[in-house]
Amino acid sequence: MSPLPSGAEDTAALREVGAALPGNGGAGLHGAPEVGAALPDETPSPGRGDTLPDGAARPESGLVPPGSAPTVAAGLTPDAPRDAWTLALPEDASTHGHRIDALLGWSHRFDAVLVAIALGWLVFAVWRFRGARRVASDGGTRRSRAWVLGLALGAFVVVDGTLLLGSHAYLRDVLWNFHVPAEDPRTVRIEVNAHQWSWEARYAGEDGRFGTPDDVVTWNDLRVPVGVPVWVQLVSTDVVHGFSLPHFRVKLDAIPGRVNQTWFQAAREGTWEVACYQHCGTSHYKMRGLLHVMSPESYAAWLHEAGRQAVQAHDENDSAARWGWEWKAP
Amino acid sequence: MSLFSSDHKAVARRYLWSGLGFLLLGGVLALLIRWQWALPGQPVPGLAWALPESHGALTPPSYTAVFTMHGLIMIFFAVTPLLFGALGHFVLPLAIGARGLAFPRLSALGYQVYAVGGVLVLASFGVRLGPASAGWTAYPPLSTPAFTPGLGQTLVTVAVLCAAASAFLYGLNFVVTVVRCRAPGMTWGRLPLTVWGLFFASVLNVLFVPVLAAATALLLMDRLLGTQFFIAGAAAVGGGGDPVVYQHLFWLFGHPEVYILILPAWGMVGDFVAFFSRRPAHGYRLTAGAMGAVTALSGLVYAHHLFTSGMSPLLGRAFMVLTLIISLPAQVMFLNWLMTLWRGSVRLTSPMLAALGTMVVFGLGGITGLALGAVATDVPLHGTLWVVGHFHLTMGAASFLAVFAGLYFWFPKMYGRAMHEGLAKAHVLSSAVLFLGVFGGQLAAGYAGQLRRLYDPYQYTYLKHLLALNQWTTVFAFLLGAVQVLFVVNLVWTLRRGRAAEQNPWEVGTLEWTSALSPPPEGNFATVPVVLRGPHALSQPEVLERLGRDWIGQAEPLPEPASSEADDALGSVSTVGGAT
Ligand SMILES: [Cu+2]
Repeated sequence: MSPLPSGAEDTAALREVGAALPGNGGAGLHGAPEVGAALPDETPSPGRGDTLPDGAARPESGLVPPGSAPTVAAGLTPDAPRDAWTLALPEDASTHGHRIDALLGWSHRFDAVLVAIALGWLVFAVWRFRGARRVASDGGTRRSRAWVLGLALGAFVVVDGTLLLGSHAYLRDVLWNFHVPAEDPRTVRIEVNAHQWSWEARYAGEDGRFGTPDDVVTWNDLRVPVGVPVWVQLVSTDVVHGFSLPHFRVKLDAIPGRVNQTWFQAAREGTWEVACYQHCGTSHYKMRGLLHVMSPESYAAWLHEAGRQAVQAHDENDSAARWGWEWKAP
Repeated sequence: MSLFSSDHKAVARRYLWSGLGFLLLGGVLALLIRWQWALPGQPVPGLAWALPESHGALTPPSYTAVFTMHGLIMIFFAVTPLLFGALGHFVLPLAIGARGLAFPRLSALGYQVYAVGGVLVLASFGVRLGPASAGWTAYPPLSTPAFTPGLGQTLVTVAVLCAAASAFLYGLNFVVTVVRCRAPGMTWGRLPLTVWGLFFASVLNVLFVPVLAAATALLLMDRLLGTQFFIAGAAAVGGGGDPVVYQHLFWLFGHPEVYILILPAWGMVGDFVAFFSRRPAHGYRLTAGAMGAVTALSGLVYAHHLFTSGMSPLLGRAFMVLTLIISLPAQVMFLNWLMTLWRGSVRLTSPMLAALGTMVVFGLGGITGLALGAVATDVPLHGTLWVVGHFHLTMGAASFLAVFAGLYFWFPKMYGRAMHEGLAKAHVLSSAVLFLGVFGGQLAAGYAGQLRRLYDPYQYTYLKHLLALNQWTTVFAFLLGAVQVLFVVNLVWTLRRGRAAEQNPWEVGTLEWTSALSPPPEGNFATVPVVLRGPHALSQPEVLERLGRDWIGQAEPLPEPASSEADDALGSVSTVGGAT
């Protein structure tokens, strides 16, 4: 298996800052040893570690505090190729994705039951009544029609009700709950600008403010520390793109003319892929980036060094390089 | 039949042949997509003449054109014209006892507009910079000249406008015909379910196709006149247009379009399951009501296509609830079909096999859509092949099988010749099984995260392991293409030397079989039938007793018990020509 970051080198070379730092010995970055192919498949079956989402019994965000977050030793690449017939969701590398996965798992179990009943009924009826001699000559009785309504309503309440409540709990606790990143002092903010066909990311640098000389800009190379909320605001320069982190259950359109936002939290260190899911032109399929989840220390060291280089390279007259915006609070 | 006849049956035949032609073209394009995912960048045998520079291999630009044109052709020029243009035009007036459509010249005009659109689509393959390539949804700004400059995109945009105009025309025509032109006694409660399905779908056409026309026309102005309706950005700088407005308009049409395509299929399934279980449709009113409920809700669920567009959480929540609610009437309808089979006398004719196949693929398609209706579970699946597999099962496989159910059912009436039952059964059965293979493979790949529309999915490490799965899916797809030969052979053979069809080969009571000749002359009926009963009067004890058969025409008087022996001699033939 080819080393994972090789695909990014062309675009990453454009404006990338601080590829490998003395401070972290290159571990976890581009020079990291890639032993992902040997990594056991850790993908949980949907439903792992969670029963039906209940929302109420959960801590506010449903997230795992950084200390207890499950981590994998740095240097492994969790999104290594899988066996040919592994047909599970992409591995979950976030602290919250297991809730969606569990809900999907439930939805598929319900689906399987409904399919089995309906298909079994159909096949049995065709087999049992094929060319039968005695035929009911009515369009159903009051009772049989009541059965139809009752069965449909019952299936609807159980299946759709589960999806609705579970989905709603996840939306309230994670997807639309921007209180969590807003109130957490450790939150990392990233501004992403989607282009045909690459992801340009901007970090505020150590001063915490966007639009200053120490802003760090990377191409197709997102870096975040493990175990803290990452708050992404998203725009597009040209056409509609779709920002997706399949391993973090994140998907959001990048639309010219508006700032969309989302947030996530990585559960462990490693390297994962960023993909575009909206058709954005001929090279749409090449709009691939990498997301490096680093230890807090190596992230801080990287940001420090990259910010230093950014200040050195800062050109007051290059207004095009300062495409960022004042962070928009919700 | 002259080429300019405005008789509804002649128009139907024109739509049939054009629709089948575009179905073939769209199918070939689909196979090109599948080839690319199984053997990325490998030359396609026989394609070197079209793509000489790459020796016949799909390039990223040609691939984007291929999947764009596949979607567009299938929806606007193949499946919709086959369901409404061919089957709808042919059956609807006959089934309600009308002499024709309310506006015959309008339906002829509708076909001409559609044909112009079809010519533009074909022409777009020949222009510089190729045909449209912005996806069948044509989201701006990608579909504006800045990013898709070719003439092909403009031609295809006009073609979609033409298809929309013709869909509006026959939608309006069908609605007026059903409301105004029913035969005496053909009450709303006696309409065949097929007519209910076509009627509701036509209502949706009238309501929502203009929305598509508006979105497309504005896009065309952005392309040709330099307007900026869909170019950013109102939200950011308070001026200009907004690409998201297009998405709302498009899906406000696009989601009802799903029901436009599936409602006629549902109607046919309801009728055929009753006909070939030899008993009245279980819960006829419930089924018709469920179709009406789906129709009423269909425009209120569209924004689940925009769950990841960053729209307001309040909207997301509302559309999630509405989307999930629409599964309730669908379940009622499905259970009614199952109940109709129960305690019937099932005959596995080719239309019945196709209808059962429609039930299976539609059921699977509907169930796999549940996870897309809830916001949280939609997020991991959005934009993946799961979505593609889901809507191909419902809009693709189910509509396709319903078209062929209808075609095999009404072909003897259309052409007066009987198709070969064995070939027809083999065709629909193998198609249904292979559809499950193809779209099941897509569902699996999408669940594992494969994004749609990728020229080379294996650029992504996390998708590399899906190559084998995609190759198997491609094998099924090519087999699916190959078994269509069964239909072509059957069609050619039947038209050339097929035996004359019996008057009422399926032994059902609806008007087109019991009150009109095969094929019906212009004007349909010698005298307009007077309808006495519903469409599914099958296995009624008094009919069995007095006529000695298990069916009776909708307009056929039931003889008094005393004279039953004399009337026994009068078979179905005597009722033909309006012996009422
Ligand atoms: Cu993109």
